[in-house]
Amino acid sequence: MTAITVKKKGKRRDVVFPIVNTIILILIMFTTLYPVINTVAYSLNEGMDALRGGIGLWPRVFSTEAYESLLRDPAIYKAFGISVSKAVLTTLLNLFFTSMLAYALSRKEYVLRGFITVVLVLTMYINAGLIPNYLLVGKVLGLRNSYWVYIIPTMFSCFNMIVIRTYIGGLPDALVESGKIDGAGDIRCFFQIILPLCLPVLATVALFVAVGAWNSWFDTYLYNGSKKDLYSLQYLLKMKLATTQNQSNAAATSADALAQTSKVAPVTVRAAITVVSAVPILVVYPFLQKYFVTGMALGSVKG
Amino acid sequence: MKKILAVLLALAMVLALVPAVMAEGAPELITVTVFKGDPGDQPTEDNKIYKLIEEKLGIKFEFEFLAGNLDETLGIKMSDRDNLPDLFDGSNSAEMLEDGGVLIDLLPYISEEKTPNLYKHIYTDDRIKQLLSEDGKLYIIPNYGINYNQEIKDYNGPAFHIQKKVIAWNNYQVPKTVDEYFALIEKYIAENPTTEDGTPYTGFAILCEGWRHFCLINPVQHLIGRPNDGEVVVDINDPGYHTETFIDKPYAKPYYKKLNEAYKKGLISRDTFAMNYDQYIAALSNGTVIGMFDQGWDFGDATNSLNAAKKYENTYLALPLLYDADDLEGIALPSADWKVEEHYVNGSVMNKDRGAGISISCKYPERMVELYETLLSDEWQKILQWGIEGEDYYVENGRMLMTKEQYENRSNSDWQRANTANAIWTSLPKKQGTMDDGNAWSPDQQPEIRNEFRSDYDKDFLAKSGKTDWIQFFGPVTPLAPYGEAWEINKGPIQDDVDAFLRIQDEQLPGIIMAADDAEFDAKWDAFVKEVAPYGEIYGKFMNEEILKLVALVEGK
Amino acid sequence: MTTKVINTGAVGLKKKKGFFRTLGSQYQLMIMSVPMLLYVLLFNYAPMWGWVIAFQEYKPELGLLNSKWVGWDNFKFLFSKQDFLLSIRNTFAMSLINLVFGTVAAILLAILLNEVRNKAFKRTVQTVTYLPHFLSMVIVVGMAQNIFASNGAANDLLVGLGLVKEPVFFLGKGEYFWWLVGAINVWKEVGWGTIIYIAAMTSIDPSLYEAAAIDGAGRFQRILHVTLPGIKSTFMVLLIMNIGHLMEAGFEIQYLMRNGMVQKYSDTIDIMSLLYSFGARPQYGRGVAAGMFKSIVGIILLFGANKIAKVMDEETLI
Repeated sequence: MTAITVKKKGKRRDVVFPIVNTIILILIMFTTLYPVINTVAYSLNEGMDALRGGIGLWPRVFSTEAYESLLRDPAIYKAFGISVSKAVLTTLLNLFFTSMLAYALSRKEYVLRGFITVVLVLTMYINAGLIPNYLLVGKVLGLRNSYWVYIIPTMFSCFNMIVIRTYIGGLPDALVESGKIDGAGDIRCFFQIILPLCLPVLATVALFVAVGAWNSWFDTYLYNGSKKDLYSLQYLLKMKLATTQNQSNAAATSADALAQTSKVAPVTVRAAITVVSAVPILVVYPFLQKYFVTGMALGSVKG
Repeated sequence: MKKILAVLLALAMVLALVPAVMAEGAPELITVTVFKGDPGDQPTEDNKIYKLIEEKLGIKFEFEFLAGNLDETLGIKMSDRDNLPDLFDGSNSAEMLEDGGVLIDLLPYISEEKTPNLYKHIYTDDRIKQLLSEDGKLYIIPNYGINYNQEIKDYNGPAFHIQKKVIAWNNYQVPKTVDEYFALIEKYIAENPTTEDGTPYTGFAILCEGWRHFCLINPVQHLIGRPNDGEVVVDINDPGYHTETFIDKPYAKPYYKKLNEAYKKGLISRDTFAMNYDQYIAALSNGTVIGMFDQGWDFGDATNSLNAAKKYENTYLALPLLYDADDLEGIALPSADWKVEEHYVNGSVMNKDRGAGISISCKYPERMVELYETLLSDEWQKILQWGIEGEDYYVENGRMLMTKEQYENRSNSDWQRANTANAIWTSLPKKQGTMDDGNAWSPDQQPEIRNEFRSDYDKDFLAKSGKTDWIQFFGPVTPLAPYGEAWEINKGPIQDDVDAFLRIQDEQLPGIIMAADDAEFDAKWDAFVKEVAPYGEIYGKFMNEEILKLVALVEGK
Repeated sequence: MTTKVINTGAVGLKKKKGFFRTLGSQYQLMIMSVPMLLYVLLFNYAPMWGWVIAFQEYKPELGLLNSKWVGWDNFKFLFSKQDFLLSIRNTFAMSLINLVFGTVAAILLAILLNEVRNKAFKRTVQTVTYLPHFLSMVIVVGMAQNIFASNGAANDLLVGLGLVKEPVFFLGKGEYFWWLVGAINVWKEVGWGTIIYIAAMTSIDPSLYEAAAIDGAGRFQRILHVTLPGIKSTFMVLLIMNIGHLMEAGFEIQYLMRNGMVQKYSDTIDIMSLLYSFGARPQYGRGVAAGMFKSIVGIILLFGANKIAKVMDEETLI
């Protein structure tokens, strides 16, 4: 009798819950989607008109000028290439070193584990400030005016290491032990047994690293500001926005209601920049997303 | 012995270099790095003016523009003293570069024989006295503010603004006092409560965002007849140049009382105090704001937007308002014999300490001075400011003119990238005012061009007002005080007190304006004065000392 | 006497040998970890000499060696300022609000997503909710300022529902500031925050769900007894890490949202230290001192939280 009631109850919930859940998620999607569409609408609006504000989900005066003003400059394509290559390279190197380290520090028997972990974790909380970093990277290591300044200082991130280590910690210990019994060393155990199981978390971390590398502009600014060939996309876009803001006021300093030809305004350029820089990530995301599937990790071991 | 050896060695090295220098007739091509303390666009690879500079002067530029926080960026750049940019423009924080010793002294390089243009530029009218820094050296030649022949005055600085249509509605009668100004706004809104599309009007907007808070805290000095001296007023008739902050003085109260009244009448909205810059520009561009106190360049976007939408009647007219004599009855002014007379517009101000200096790590200081010198010649100034004759302008009866297309090009950023050398030109010394033949050095100031490209509405407005240009709504240009304009003074030594002084105003003035009744207003005002006055005293005293130093320098005492 | 010495030596040697022998046998783990240790020593620890600036009146032209030493003056300056003390409170309050609500929201959304069976829908929701992460703060804050204006959507809603009579002055009253910042942060980052929990959920053994279902557990019991324990270690580790970051509340969002009226609530340590350290005559030492203070408090909080977790026998960071 009791069993039946429980079953019934469970069944009823299984009908109600998905509906409620779906509704909640759709509402959440709406609140996050509105500002995004609004940004797209601004990016497709004529600049002088957009200054008036009040644009909703659809452009008021349609214009692609904001995008054209960005894409007309051939430098942007080169910068795009630099950004892609630095994102890819940084992600690969970072994943390699970070996950290897995460494995080593997940081994409880490792005698240096505590020491190294503390040393690494503290890096998240100490910051020497910009000037010493600038002198180290730019002057001592001589990475100024060089592509490698994008790669070399970004090969490791403690946060991601912890994320992977926690994930590995959740995997059954028996996996490594059986590997050891088969005579494999830690390096082999890591590459052959653990790494393939870490795909979901590696996909996550790859996303974090890639987005971080993709969005960074300060490295270009600090070290490669005068080297046009090494500009990253984000830096170039940031520069374009700053210039638009500067120019619109500079133009007005000639004080008069004189002829104005500019069709872009800071609001539209800012919106277009947001879209231009987010699109590549949105394109990549689905490829990573397919690794975020429940039970996939262990399923593959058992199957 | 060692010394002799060293001298010989040096001599040998110099001799070895001589043939290399002598061999080439044209100067050796060098690449110069330039840091600009402002954002900017990289010029295109085939930019025609830079190409010309490269051909004639053998100099190529690598520009680096500001993208982050200016002070922070300069601090970082200065920390690596072996790798400074060759030309270093610190923009509004160039004092940091001078104090930090990263620029070379230009005086030894400038002489009447070797650099006649520069010599004339900075020694005429004893300008040099104002330009030297405290240690007697010259690090930066001002990038703006040195006029030749006749100065052409444009006014884009602080003023009360009002939509032109309101003045037209008032039969082109302009208000002279704050009372008249608010009365006009009130009267207009009473008869026209909303815009054409039904949005209610805001009578008066006050932008308070960040450093733009001058719209909130600066007006009082003008109302008692002083030009923009920042946060202080100076008694220029006093031999001791009595200087004081004005916000904490009794004569500031009537203005904020008026704002409080306007607030209670609904002419000012409380949201104005929380408004960000974009919202402000949007409100102005929509034509919903009747008036505000601001500087013309600070709402350029809105002016552009209104012009683009052909809403000329909603663009703003700048007005030099004063207190009414009644307002100041029984209130002590900075001095006993103080006269409240309009003085908004100063004679031209040299942009002291602004522009590019040559850094200590630059390998070619002589070449850089030569660059300054050559580009300051009439021939190059024409190229830099007007462009190439026949392409960018034409000449008719000796007057330099532009077609509509040529004029419009100038505000097109893509065109600029390929056809102007603005990135370098804006940092270097330049000629302003008029050429020897009477043409204006800047196309924007050429009267024919100004008139030609003005909207019909504006032409009509000016005609009906009996004026030919906007500056005529102001009184005559008053010669600049010997210390310049006080806001330019470096306040480094009392920075902390100035910060506190400003923060108290930012925090409390909105509450004062929003006071519900007179009792609350008075109580809040008194509390405010009590809190801010100690900092005001330090500030005023410091500024007075600095002003006296500057005056002594200029007058050679 | 001699024997004794030898004995002690032997004992010492044995101990050392034990450690090094173990270490020797772990050479593969060393290969995997020591290079990165050296790497962070170079990139993160070597620049730490910069902290001496906190005790100097640093001038770039004099450099670190020749700048004037001022002892604790920079710290004394900061802690003598009422505004700086308030900024510590503001920083702490805003990051705490952010931590609590951000974490709860991310876990809730991750669970809701985890319960979705339709893969296409799940992916769509995931993608859409993480989009705001890519909007720049200027855009987000600009929208928020429109929404929370007196005539904005939030007030329209409140007045429309009869919850308030007069529009609320959200942006002009300090007491709302922390919550507005919290709300914006949660909204902007919730989707992004789920990614890490969803990845953690992938490691949950599906057979656990099957077993729970066989035991007659309903959906909520399964969430409670399988899903939540499955992400607990991730949750703990992130929690400890974020407690260490309680002195970091960011800069940009507050800087964009603030206005003069709310400065006693809006200004964080980062905003104040920028104000104190820059200006016509930069005081680099103050900025570094503020940063040093933040780091040390952060590290204390971190070790404290880690210790508590250890005592409670939970997953720890270190």
